[in-house]
Amino acid sequence: MSEPLLRTEGLTRHFRVGKLFSRQVLHAVDEVNFTIGRGEIVALVGESGSGKSTIARLLARVYKPTSGEIYFEGRPLSSIRRRKERLAYASDVPMVFQDPYSSINPAYRVSHGIRRALRLHRKGLGRPEVERLLGEVGLVPPGKLAGKFPHELSGGQRQRVGFAQALAFSPKLIIADEPVSMLDVSIRIGLLNLMSELREREGVSFLYITHDVASARYIADSVLVMYAGHLVEEGPTEDVIQRPKHPYTQLLLSAVPDPRAPLGVSDAADVGEPPKVVNPKEGCRFQPRCPYAIAECETVTPLLRPLGPQRLAACHVAEADVGEPAA
Amino acid sequence: MTLPSAAEAVVEPLEITRRPGADLWRAVAGNRKAVAGVLLLAFFLVLAIFPGQIAPYSGTAEDFGRGLGPSSAHWFGTTAYGQDVLSQLISGTRQSIIIAFAVGGLATAIAVLVGVSAAYLGGVADGVLSLITDVILVIPIFPLIIVIAAYERNSGLFTLVVVLGALGWSYGARQLRSQTLSLRSRDFLEAARVRGERRFYVIVFEIIPTMTSLIVASFLGAALYAVLFAAGLQFIGLGDPNSQSWGTMLYWAENNEALGAGMVYWAIMPGVCVALLGAAFALLNYAFDEISNPALRLRRLERKAAQELEPAPAVAAAPDSEKILEVRGLSVAYASDDGPVVAVDNVDLDLRRGEFLGIVGESGCGKSTLLYAIARLLGAPLAGEITGGQVLFKGRNMVSMTERELRAIRWREYSVVMQSAMNALNPVLTVEAQMRDALKAHSDLSKREIEKRSKEVLRLVSIDPVHLHSYPHQLSGGMRQRAMIAMALLFTPDLIIMDEPTSALDVVAQRSLMVQIKELQERLGFAVIFVTHDMSLVSHFSDRLLVMYAAQVAEFGKTRQLFDKPLHPYTQGLLEAFPSIRGENMRLVGIPGHPPDLLRPPAGCRFAARCPHAHERCAIAPPLYDVEGDLVRCVLYEHDREAVAAR
Repeated sequence: MSEPLLRTEGLTRHFRVGKLFSRQVLHAVDEVNFTIGRGEIVALVGESGSGKSTIARLLARVYKPTSGEIYFEGRPLSSIRRRKERLAYASDVPMVFQDPYSSINPAYRVSHGIRRALRLHRKGLGRPEVERLLGEVGLVPPGKLAGKFPHELSGGQRQRVGFAQALAFSPKLIIADEPVSMLDVSIRIGLLNLMSELREREGVSFLYITHDVASARYIADSVLVMYAGHLVEEGPTEDVIQRPKHPYTQLLLSAVPDPRAPLGVSDAADVGEPPKVVNPKEGCRFQPRCPYAIAECETVTPLLRPLGPQRLAACHVAEADVGEPAA
Repeated sequence: MTLPSAAEAVVEPLEITRRPGADLWRAVAGNRKAVAGVLLLAFFLVLAIFPGQIAPYSGTAEDFGRGLGPSSAHWFGTTAYGQDVLSQLISGTRQSIIIAFAVGGLATAIAVLVGVSAAYLGGVADGVLSLITDVILVIPIFPLIIVIAAYERNSGLFTLVVVLGALGWSYGARQLRSQTLSLRSRDFLEAARVRGERRFYVIVFEIIPTMTSLIVASFLGAALYAVLFAAGLQFIGLGDPNSQSWGTMLYWAENNEALGAGMVYWAIMPGVCVALLGAAFALLNYAFDEISNPALRLRRLERKAAQELEPAPAVAAAPDSEKILEVRGLSVAYASDDGPVVAVDNVDLDLRRGEFLGIVGESGCGKSTLLYAIARLLGAPLAGEITGGQVLFKGRNMVSMTERELRAIRWREYSVVMQSAMNALNPVLTVEAQMRDALKAHSDLSKREIEKRSKEVLRLVSIDPVHLHSYPHQLSGGMRQRAMIAMALLFTPDLIIMDEPTSALDVVAQRSLMVQIKELQERLGFAVIFVTHDMSLVSHFSDRLLVMYAAQVAEFGKTRQLFDKPLHPYTQGLLEAFPSIRGENMRLVGIPGHPPDLLRPPAGCRFAARCPHAHERCAIAPPLYDVEGDLVRCVLYEHDREAVAAR
């Protein structure tokens, strides 16, 4: 198998929390393995606190892994030493942020971030490239928009500026951390369409981080489901959504409001919320909320195991009686 | 029905592009304190630059009679040495101005460097720099300066500037540090780091430009302090006694007992000048504060007399006892620098007992303002004023109620659940204390009854009563929202008004909260107004749905009917805008463009610029049409129906 664009191996990030004498360890991300192929859109789905934003920041090298490794085009990120290499990676893997109201410097015209990216990474390209990029993300007329200040743009337009900034690096993988969750419903779909168009036109891959399963289904080829720092399920998006294996994925899907489907009565059952994973013990982290939990779940942490073609889930029970038998 | 698409017939809302410089100029020109400060400072600047041309005589020449009173030749008289007081005042201006600007500049430069670096670098650097800042802040400056000045006697202007500058930056540094700390979590700084910018670039070109107003304020503050301190030092004789400055004048006037000897102006005018120059800096400082914090500005809505609230007409016929709430022609406007912004435009709605009404719309469409107007929560600190219409709650007009009358029905008869429970709950009080406060304020229950009721309502929302003793931060997000709902239920009101109570929650918690609200409603029989930006969220819970667009009702009808057969092109667009996890995965289009600026809404249909069916007739504002009980504001339906009302 040829080397994928990006691959993680046992990716782990812990944070120390608490005061001096009550130091505890928050397990934000534990032993996560996944791959992202060239030109692929991978959705990373989970609730707040599940560790998905930590993964984004690990990939963007804002945080260093506590243990484990990220390989980009086969090279481990921990081998990056020199500023030149850092810049090269920054330009291959840029990030689009969640909040378009805080991700653009209000003191500059909107073209500022694009011009800086060009100056740092693609010297010699000037205003024509700025305008091409703004046009590329649907900001027309680009010449006029480049001279505006952020407060003159709507939220959707600002987020398009965010994508134009990412594109300015001529990237291979864009990490999009909840890029549409702060936007109005009527505007979201335009940004999602933009992401799949950019994949088609520029061949760029996306890691699309979201809590909205429906939007993940809309654009992603495959989906990773996280719960409390663990990757609990992965597979081709459509397959996972039609036949979720992990009980958490099932709960997540049943909670998505859908006017086109009748309201299930059983939905009311779960009032729990994901735990903060501080000094965790062995065992499945979803077990306290899981309707299918068995004794083993309390003592043995389930590992991802194959449960079908390209399907993995971390659940002791899924094999036995949830969903379909493994292929 | 096919209509010629004529989107071009619709006039685009006037686009206003302003340069920030122009904004600043307008803001300064519109602020009385700023104008006064600028004029005063300009006056002294002119004196400082051209003393020779303006002053009638030399400031040092001792050519005149000693101790003369004011006359047309010597407006403020002469000194005991025969110098012209007016000329001395004018000549002394330069030194005060130099000190003000030099010390202001020096202190601000140090403040920016120290404050921003401390906050941005964090860790040990922050510890050390903050310690230095704090030490300098608590040093009693005046005695210290006296010691230094006495030691460096007659050393002149340069030493004075350096000493004042070196001791006067700490206050500004602390402000800049805390501002930078709040900026540190902003994504644009992380974006710059991820982009590969160096630290120096981030500090100088990303952080500092966003803090110009604070830096200006820090400069003005330091300048003011310098003027006062320099005059004080010179007055007690710790400057160069031969220099020309206001402080030195005071020093000599005091030495010659000018006041007692009839040379009143010699003794008073230097002080007046110091006060006026100080006032110029202080005024500018206040003005900048107001300009950069619009919340400090008092803006009043200008209303024409004709638009004054008409007295509530006697309620027509017997009030319908089934209708718990009737809103008639409600309008709300905000004052802005560019004129009134009508955020709610002539809205009608009604609510039956036990009904669940959903209000949906995009951000800025006026849905939250409508809700606050109904709850009578507008007014300081929330901006906005009801400019017309009625809110009949159980037949009584809430718009004309006094605060006292409102207090009697708030919480007992209607209650409000806010968007963010973390902000709405008091972080330093336990849940129990907050419930007790609410119960005490609105009833005279005994201690025991209060405790019983608090436990009861917590159980209603499936929170274990042990959490009565929890502080808000000890509860999870979902529990906090449920605790808010429990508080709203304390008196089992007839109406609960909810502003996006679930939007901060994850899907699973959101769904379970929605189910819970619906169950409680069915059990206790209260009516609900539920505001949300997410139509699909209320699809299974609301009886009727009101779709707002650009401050107006776009569509209002039964929820099921609205989802199955949406009439307004905006509603249709909204329904087609969100992907589903069921059915075929189709390509969706969303709604192009963005809502109009409510400061200058288009004259015709407000949705026309984004509408796929736009048509020449859309240039005229459409009324609401009644289509099988569903109200819709769109000319597509004008041939079929009569307009409901002329609005």
